Amino acid sequence: MEAPAPLRKSLALVFCDIVGSTRLIARMGDLVASAVFRQFIEHADRLGRQHHSLMIKFSGDAFLAAFENMNDVMPFVISIEGLLSPHSPLERLEGFRFSLHYGNVLYIETSYGNDILGEDVNVAAHLSEIAHPNELVISQAALARMPADYQFHAGASEVHPFKRVGDVEFRRVKLLDENPFFRLARGFQRT
Amino acid sequence: MATSAPEPMLEIVTEAIVVIDLVESTLTSNLFGWYAVGRQSLRDLRALIGEVGQIRGLRCVRSTGDGYLLTFYDPQSAEMAAIRAVEAVFELLGLISVRNREVSEERALNLRCAVHLGEVDVIPNDREGPHISMAFRLEEISRASLPAALNPIPPEQFPLQNYVLCSEEVAGILSRRAAHWELVSIGLLKLKGFPGWREVFRITSEEHPTDLGGRMRAL
Repeated sequence: MEAPAPLRKSLALVFCDIVGSTRLIARMGDLVASAVFRQFIEHADRLGRQHHSLMIKFSGDAFLAAFENMNDVMPFVISIEGLLSPHSPLERLEGFRFSLHYGNVLYIETSYGNDILGEDVNVAAHLSEIAHPNELVISQAALARMPADYQFHAGASEVHPFKRVGDVEFRRVKLLDENPFFRLARGFQRT
Repeated sequence: MATSAPEPMLEIVTEAIVVIDLVESTLTSNLFGWYAVGRQSLRDLRALIGEVGQIRGLRCVRSTGDGYLLTFYDPQSAEMAAIRAVEAVFELLGLISVRNREVSEERALNLRCAVHLGEVDVIPNDREGPHISMAFRLEEISRASLPAALNPIPPEQFPLQNYVLCSEEVAGILSRRAAHWELVSIGLLKLKGFPGWREVFRITSEEHPTDLGGRMRAL
């Protein structure tokens, strides 16, 4: 049977990276660390399905998740961050780095499952590299599609140049309870 | 109080680093014997490397067990060292393709090659440093690596043998200074021990059509 034709889709792209994974391996040994990473993958996969992600793809200590509905993104990010809370499965981890971008990508079926292709995927990946621990870096393209309350509470605008894409405007959001942005997202999660 | 002799200053140079791996060399040696086939294959490979490298600034040839670590140096221009290294690798693939037609199947040589450019510590007959590790990480990339890559080419289009991968640094040099090489991004990958995402390229050449994997899709 022939694979379905690739589809162009505008999607919210979430990247998440484990902070200090090399340190974790050095501190606890590779057996314990790989068990922790396995748990991370299982929980992220479960939470992705719970929050209606279109696809989720794992690469080492990171994942890329795509969402059709922007409203599903922040509850998903918060649920992932919640894996770090005391007595939770991944409390041994130092933290996560997140990025969120919105872009037009090619959604395809491949021999290894569904995947998304396009320059916006690279932008989302590179944005996660400039995020600090337990911080979400949101591109302006993504923020503009979020409710106005979120836009109001995001950090100051910054710009970073990316190869082949040029300057990308973004904001930083600390994933802390006292941050109004984070509280808004938590409120949204409860409703 | 005895004073220890000062350690000699390490020479640090920018060289093109090539990692060449003999595909299924262990399997071949196990099946047909190291003394009957394996040893001669590696010796043949070393001789061919000498042939293509000598005039192109080959400075280090170090056995890795089932392949070789090579470095190329150009006193005038580090970028030219990268170009010479790529030329040498494609000429090597060409010579091997000719040789494979003349020898029995078990003596055939098939290679995986990776090229990177960076500063290395010069150790007699060896090289050290993170750029050496980077070249080995590039060489380890295979079809199986692609599902975890971002914007990957379809794994079926990635050849199993006789191909050349390179880092962003080398791809940049080739695109600026050597237009006859075709570069195809195979995707963004996370390489063990290196932070962030690295774009990895496959180099193809119309002059040296050694590709056994069919045409690639340009992203």
